[in-house]
Amino acid sequence: MKPAEFTYYRPESVGEALHGLATLPDPKPLAGGQSLLTLMNLRLARPATLLDIGRFTELARVFDDTEALVLGALVRHRTCETDPLVAARAPLLHAAAGHIGHLGIRNQGTIGGSLAHADPAAELPLAAVTLGATVHVESATRGKRALSAEELFVSFYANSLEPDELITWITVPAIRPGQGWGFVEYARQHGDYALAGAGVLLSLDARGRIAGLRIGLLNAADRPLLFDEREGTAPVLGELPEPRLWEGLGWRLAALSEPSHPDTEYVKALCASAISEAAEAATERAGENT
Amino acid sequence: MARVEDGTLLAGQGRFAADAAEGAHQVVFVRSTEPHADILGIDTAAARAMPGVLGVYTAADLGLDGARLPVLTTPNPAFAEATGFQMAEQRIPLLATERVHYVGQPIVVLIATDRYRAEDAAEAVTVSYRGRAPVTDAATALEAEPLYDHLADNEIARIGYSFGDPENAFGRAHRVVSGEYRIGRHGAVPLETRGAVARPDRRLRRVDLTTSTQIPHLVRNAVRTVTGWAEHEIVVHVPDVGGGFGTKANVYAEEIVLAVLARQTGFDLAWIEDRQEHLLSAAQGRDQVHRTRLAVDGQGRILAWGDEFLVDVGAGSLWVAGIVANTAVHALGPYRIPAVRMSGRAVLTTKTIVAQYRGAGRPEAAFALERTLDAAAAELGIGTARIREINLLTDTDLPYPRPIPYRDGEPIVYDGWDYRACLTKVRDLLPETERERLRAEHPGALLGYGLGCYLEATARGPYETARLRVLDDGAVELATGAAAAGQGHATVFGRVAATALGIPEDRVRYRPTDTERLPDGIGTFASRSAVVAGSAVHNGAMRLLDRARALAQEVLGGPVEYAGGVFRRGEAEIGLGGIAAHTRGDPTALDVTETYRPRTVTWTMGVHAAIVAVDRRSGMLSVLRYAVAHEGGNELDPEIVRGQILGGVAQGIGGSLFEEYGYAPSGQPLSTTFAAYHLPLSTDVPNVAVAHLHVDTPDNPIGARGAGESGTIAAYPAIAAAVDDALGGRIHCAATPLDPGLIHGALRKAAVLA
Ligand SMILES: Cc1cc2nc3c(=O)[nH]c(=O)nc-3n(C[C@H](O)[C@H](O)[C@H](O)COP(=O)(O)OP(=O)(O)OC[C@H]3O[C@@H](n4cnc5c(N)ncnc54)[C@H](O)[C@@H]3O)c2cc1C
Repeated sequence: MKPAEFTYYRPESVGEALHGLATLPDPKPLAGGQSLLTLMNLRLARPATLLDIGRFTELARVFDDTEALVLGALVRHRTCETDPLVAARAPLLHAAAGHIGHLGIRNQGTIGGSLAHADPAAELPLAAVTLGATVHVESATRGKRALSAEELFVSFYANSLEPDELITWITVPAIRPGQGWGFVEYARQHGDYALAGAGVLLSLDARGRIAGLRIGLLNAADRPLLFDEREGTAPVLGELPEPRLWEGLGWRLAALSEPSHPDTEYVKALCASAISEAAEAATERAGENT
Repeated sequence: MARVEDGTLLAGQGRFAADAAEGAHQVVFVRSTEPHADILGIDTAAARAMPGVLGVYTAADLGLDGARLPVLTTPNPAFAEATGFQMAEQRIPLLATERVHYVGQPIVVLIATDRYRAEDAAEAVTVSYRGRAPVTDAATALEAEPLYDHLADNEIARIGYSFGDPENAFGRAHRVVSGEYRIGRHGAVPLETRGAVARPDRRLRRVDLTTSTQIPHLVRNAVRTVTGWAEHEIVVHVPDVGGGFGTKANVYAEEIVLAVLARQTGFDLAWIEDRQEHLLSAAQGRDQVHRTRLAVDGQGRILAWGDEFLVDVGAGSLWVAGIVANTAVHALGPYRIPAVRMSGRAVLTTKTIVAQYRGAGRPEAAFALERTLDAAAAELGIGTARIREINLLTDTDLPYPRPIPYRDGEPIVYDGWDYRACLTKVRDLLPETERERLRAEHPGALLGYGLGCYLEATARGPYETARLRVLDDGAVELATGAAAAGQGHATVFGRVAATALGIPEDRVRYRPTDTERLPDGIGTFASRSAVVAGSAVHNGAMRLLDRARALAQEVLGGPVEYAGGVFRRGEAEIGLGGIAAHTRGDPTALDVTETYRPRTVTWTMGVHAAIVAVDRRSGMLSVLRYAVAHEGGNELDPEIVRGQILGGVAQGIGGSLFEEYGYAPSGQPLSTTFAAYHLPLSTDVPNVAVAHLHVDTPDNPIGARGAGESGTIAAYPAIAAAVDDALGGRIHCAATPLDPGLIHGALRKAAVLA
């Protein structure tokens, strides 16, 4: 469990990192290292060049924008879990982060790394698609572009970034009045990856009826699955958010999942439970958040 | 109270195998990537040419072509005769040359200046294979082509005995319940992986092998069997060992090859296994299926018991005789059973080799018997406690002979006091009413209560050794043949010696085992060390004292009084150190090597009780409460006994809930990292209430009984029973690790999902 040979660089700035990504042989950014180093030790990843961006303090900051929360790619999971600003403005992200691995991992792991790693079982990609986050990326030659979280995830551990692109910032729409959220996952052990999990972002109108609904599932396909008004949740718009409704919706959406776990029936049932449990929590919170 | 060991270990000052590797070159093994294949060729040329590579060797390069691992245990003839035990010859090569039988099997060994370069070189070795069909299931293996050319089939050992009149009893019983019970393949997974360091000395023609083992003498013997070296040419040293639990009570090809390689190259060499390598290739355990039949009368009294089991030992097991015999003997349990039909077979598959993982047949046997008893209780509509009450041996039954000999050939006589008392006690420690009380705290879960009984033969012979020697300052140096692997030997044996000698405990220096200081010994496994090594220490100390007394009388000129390490005659006195100085010319005067041979085993019985929560939504399990009441002998250190129980329960919970070495249909192992092999965490293991019911044994001089495996054995059935109970009998858990998917299915069917 020793990595194959590689060259290590620690660029001093984002610009230098981007330059390195564009010019050095087979480069990979190294952020918290909690996924990349493991893969390298197993020799499942063997980049020729590591560009250690882990110490860019600039990208470790969290800003409050009017309608959004802006997070640097190097914001640690632990920051998402403990920062009161994240808790207030993106409570689903905050809750999801607390479920990642163990403390040491959360101290090291970064949101940019987690999104780039594109593990369909991971919490932050799920939170990002559920919340409709925007991922800002940059390259030395083509400059900046922005893509939706959904566009980022391609398949198991595969993202849509070009090899010379770096995730720099992530914007997450802040929670609005009338909105409620829920996050539920089922893991066999404390800190383990979940067998199933759901994030729910619910908007209620003035009459308490469903005006908007986004539901994300983790570990249910080759990427985090999103159901929104365009796909999957439209039939319940205008309905009253009741447990019976959530249960039915849970089963309906779970049926669309394609878990890779060998016991698919079980995992689909867990997805259904996670959706209805998270949706009930979201309903309650939406009611309180007027 | 802290153990003698704790100061250094907790300060990070332990000396483990890897700490002994300074200055040594690094050795890495190239392992089979195929579960079953012929080797068509091995190309090491590219690897040899790589920077930092000092040598790449196949079996032929080392003269080890055809060299095999010697088996570690053969059955006692009287036992084999009485139980129909037979076993076939195993041919597990040190380094595979023609055919591989499991993924992870060593084929090539190489030396490099560091582990990084060594792993680079390992990648560059090409082994070409012609694949053969993998066999990952014991039942299939019985039908499959033989995996080894010298064998006619894949059955490697069998046992079969019966007594009483079982068929008659099955015929006329009120009820006969039957079942099939499976205990999954898992293993010890110690905190410290395997590792060894070999340092050759050309002038002395010897190799010093420091290896993370529980059985240094058996390692030495195996090296000698393979190489023909004299005893003084290979000395095995035991460093601090970070857990063994049976996986290190095995002799490994890697240890023998390392010694040979060091001798041939003249290099100091270190092989420190990494975690992936460990999960792939260190010996595994369990993996048994039992088909059971139990005949009971209307009250639930056992009339006859039948168990037909199959053990999957993977590509082989040097301990197959022990595992099969242990299973067949312990399946008799702590009950009044008048008639038995027992048969078992061990079969070869293309999975990793197997050794004696904590319990080694006992947990599997207990799972089969206890689960069948629970099934009978359900069938009769009586409680699981009740059926045990009716059948457990009590003070009127004990001592209780069984009509077969134990593995040592001696007649089996359970030497306990009152097994029902353990049941009563555990139900005091953890009453069933606790389940009701906990319900309020766990509205999202269904709670169940389960019991499991066990009986274990402990303190297996044939012997163990100890050496005690007085140092110049009067302190006493102590070593035992039973090597320490984290159990606290320094504390316990130090205390036994200090007590016998009447000196303060800090005047005893426990030396880690090596085969030069103590040329004979067996090792630490099978719940044996406290009793057999402890007795050797005690008897050795008494003998040392006798010698010292005789010498003191010589020096002081007449009868002496002794207290606290000092002999007195009137005003004159001489201490142990003084006598040592006086006898400097004869260094053997105060140096005693003692061998203790137990007459036979002594039996430990206990009952486990568990309360388990089943999450209504997910079917996932958590163990909320746990208690163990056991009969034991003199507790040489009560905290260490408790620690053995706690650690055993933790491993039992792991095996019951999570741990499994899985194999794909392709034969590839699936559990080669901790992302796939799930150990129990601190959050999975509740506090364990332990009650020790003291039952003296006159059989050994320190009155001890073994307890090393007790914590593990009954955990599986107790936890499974609690799940049955939580679901109100809508499931009968028959396989471990317990499958939350299956439990969830039962919940849904019963529509008790919230
Ligand atoms: C024992 C253990 C348990 C874990 N459990 C969980 C869990 O339960 N849930 C969970 O979600 N995760 C879990 N993780 C993974 C953890 O969350 C990782 O931190 C995360 O997946 C990757 O973040 P990182 O900063 O460590 O990235 P790294 O490991 O440094 O990098 C991961 C990948 O992202 C790329 N990358 C990193 N930063 C950028 C960037 N800014 N732009 C472009 N590419 C980038 C790297 O090149 C690499 O390909 C666990 C990890 C471990 C070791």
